[in-house]
Amino acid sequence: MTQPARLDQLPPEMLDFALLKTTGTLAARLGRLSLPGRSNILTPAFLGNTSRGVLPHISPDNFRKLVELEGVYMALEDFVEKHPQKTPPILQFDVPDPLRRFVALPKDTLVVLGARRQPPIATPMSNTNAEVTLSTSVGFRSISSEYYTAAVRKLQPDIVVGLADIPYGQESIGLKRKDKMSDRTESWLRDLIAKRASIEQGDPRFSIFAPILPIDRDLQSWYLEHLVDDMVDQISGVAIYDAYLLDDLPDELHALPRLSCHMPASPQELLRQISLGMDLFTIPFISSATDAGISLDFTFPAPQSAESDSTPRRSLGVDMWLAEHAVAVTPLTEGCACYACTQHHRAYIQHLLSAKEMLGWLLLQLHNHAVLSSFFAGVRASIAAGTFDADVAAFEAFYEPALPAKTGQGPRVRGYQFQSADHGHAARKNPKAFRSLDELAKLKAMHGQQPNRKPQMQDVIDDEALVGLVQMEGVDPAVQLESLKVEDADGDDKA
Amino acid sequence: MAPVPMPSALTFELLAKCSVTKARAATLHLPHGPVPLPIFMPVATQASLKGLTPDQLADTGCRLCLNNTYHLGLKPGQATLEAVGGAHKLQAWPHNILTADSTGSFQMVSLLKLAQVTEEGVRFLSPHDGTPMLLTPEHSISLQNTIGSDIIMQLDDVIATTSPDHARMLEAMQRSVRWLDRCIDAHAHPERQNLFCIIQGGLDLELRRQCTAEMVARDTPGIAIGGLSGGEAKDAYCRVVDTCTGLLPEKKPRYVMGVGYPEDLVVSVALGADMFDCVWPTRTARFGNAITAHGVLNLRNATYATDFRAIEPGCQCPCCRPADAKPPGLGLTRAYIYHVTAKETAGAHLLTMHNVHYQLDLMRRARDAILQDRYPAFVREFFAALYAGDRGKYPEWAVVALRGVGVDLLRE
Ligand SMILES: [Zn+2]
Ligand SMILES: [Zn+2]
Repeated sequence: MTQPARLDQLPPEMLDFALLKTTGTLAARLGRLSLPGRSNILTPAFLGNTSRGVLPHISPDNFRKLVELEGVYMALEDFVEKHPQKTPPILQFDVPDPLRRFVALPKDTLVVLGARRQPPIATPMSNTNAEVTLSTSVGFRSISSEYYTAAVRKLQPDIVVGLADIPYGQESIGLKRKDKMSDRTESWLRDLIAKRASIEQGDPRFSIFAPILPIDRDLQSWYLEHLVDDMVDQISGVAIYDAYLLDDLPDELHALPRLSCHMPASPQELLRQISLGMDLFTIPFISSATDAGISLDFTFPAPQSAESDSTPRRSLGVDMWLAEHAVAVTPLTEGCACYACTQHHRAYIQHLLSAKEMLGWLLLQLHNHAVLSSFFAGVRASIAAGTFDADVAAFEAFYEPALPAKTGQGPRVRGYQFQSADHGHAARKNPKAFRSLDELAKLKAMHGQQPNRKPQMQDVIDDEALVGLVQMEGVDPAVQLESLKVEDADGDDKA
Repeated sequence: MAPVPMPSALTFELLAKCSVTKARAATLHLPHGPVPLPIFMPVATQASLKGLTPDQLADTGCRLCLNNTYHLGLKPGQATLEAVGGAHKLQAWPHNILTADSTGSFQMVSLLKLAQVTEEGVRFLSPHDGTPMLLTPEHSISLQNTIGSDIIMQLDDVIATTSPDHARMLEAMQRSVRWLDRCIDAHAHPERQNLFCIIQGGLDLELRRQCTAEMVARDTPGIAIGGLSGGEAKDAYCRVVDTCTGLLPEKKPRYVMGVGYPEDLVVSVALGADMFDCVWPTRTARFGNAITAHGVLNLRNATYATDFRAIEPGCQCPCCRPADAKPPGLGLTRAYIYHVTAKETAGAHLLTMHNVHYQLDLMRRARDAILQDRYPAFVREFFAALYAGDRGKYPEWAVVALRGVGVDLLRE
């Protein structure tokens, strides 16, 4: 690459989206998203779904070396926990392109910034006319539209998803509330557009994706009309919160790229959304599979099956916790070109999971992302070839309809990572620490010292590895470490 | 009776000796490539270093890392190791491996009251199901032969250096010598795996001398000083290392097990030790601690939330190296580490990389200084940076130990 250093300081032109192939209004389509200085994205495609600015388990150096992703999604709520008492650190980082620099993202990776994580966690407080509620690592916080626009102005992402007033976690939403949703969303979008208009010539500008709310067209008709009448030239894409309402999208917005904020729970759901004309995705099930120790194992189109209809459908993933992999010196998926499959084998990954070594999750995460990259390449080829609908049918016939259930224990899940139940994934939390006498006895029986008490001993003992050694199912590793109670060499137990 | 000298699968190439202290610079040629001495060896207890890929570990400059025999014996177990073809294949690590079980957990387990040491071996309860297990010198070597590590360690009888029981200490020392003979007899691959003996004897210098003499007579390819880092006083530790290195042959690598902190490494090198290992740098990364020339920074402290300097400015690790450097680094800030540490596993990966790089780089710089015969100056610079020039804060044990090898930190 030639000196890209100054490229991001040039005034970026507006995002360009070229539709390369369409086959009707509610049909799969091919496109190309391009922005000077960033990699082109051929759609349908997916964005890396970050947590606190990092693709879970993948440090920025590995992201550069081992991951093929042209774009990522980030959530402002992952960066503003000091608000409102203090100015969040990221907003004090006084360099060009501060968000990208802060998280060490490559220059050519497209950054999409939204307010909420994907999927968002339901908040106990409702949004108001003035404020949206966020969930940060230290609790729930509210920010104003003004704050949001100022923050995105400062952070300089490539694309900003406008604030949407969506009452997450609410079972049923009244008509009056739905009216408010579209009013607020419109007003907040206007704020964002106004903010961008105030950016001086030559300063970095962001592109705007307008939220399309998960309510019937009638209920957001004013908002949609205004979008078409006043704002269509100001927005570069739409963020769609209910893929099954794509039908309601005004014709005037059809040429815009569509980001799905409707989290798919399975590859089949992804395909359904693609078949309705969705272009861009974040896919939380990739990281959930990784954390569950599941190696995704599907391709699109599905392999040609010579077998009869009576053969059982193939699983979408392999549970790497199972002991049957312990001596398998084969890759996760035969023929997969990812780092995990070319450098390592199932036996090692099974060992890492069983020993609770973090590397297991990294390797699965790399592989699972590679599986989705190939999946999308297959999807695009299939749409180009005009065989998409048939390929989807074959896929659904070939694979089981849902990802396999998790059996092993994943990494510690923190509050801000809890997933809400209304996105196809059951809520997962750390199982309540279950410490039977038997388990405690096991722990105590195996240790002769007290690493928690005596600092010098603490530093020479790999207590994490000890936890990996003991079989304690259903107990949070952090709890295990805490309860790792071992006697001192000289019997000096000052517990 | 010492058996016939065993073949060696290493070459120790001594390059320079400090003209003042006992420090040495060498290259140790091992079956999976040369490694520079002195060296710090990161501890990948369970065949993985805290989330780093083998490539990331190699990028820190590491060419020799540790695995724990005891841990690998239980998980994935000897049968799996056999099926996979050893630890190099298991973890896809093309460089050298040393397997030990004296440091870390085995030391811990062997010290527990429930583990019983007999002449036969160490009897303990399986952490899996509580069933009694017996680890003998023969079994330990067989396991390490299966693991295929480049350096294997004898099974030794370790008791805490702080134990007041002299008779037990003597017994442990003598038993370690007998076990060494059994290990030598059991060793199936001396032509491709180097067995190191482990000198025991607690803090009793006379016992250490006796043990050293017995073990040197066995002529193993390398020699370890064991049983330390168990919480003994630092001055006592230094006396043991100094005494042992004084009796060791010049042309063999000397490994002090379970050490340590940067100042321990710098002083121990001056006392004539070449190799070190410790879980501390990687373990402490989990708690947000970054090792720097100016001391350890706890990056979980809120003061770092808006500190946009590198973890250690000037550090050449992938995290700290600026994005516009050649080759480019990540240019990460302390604020970013604060942002992810203890919240994302990647935060621990990053600090682990930095800390391992720090320890390896410290030994690289020590080696350069020895090669240029300026190790005493290096030691002075090191302590001046660590204590911000305040000599009053220099630890007494380090001052005394270094004075013993001709370097007075308190005088120019
Ligand atoms: Zn793969
Ligand atoms: Zn560094």
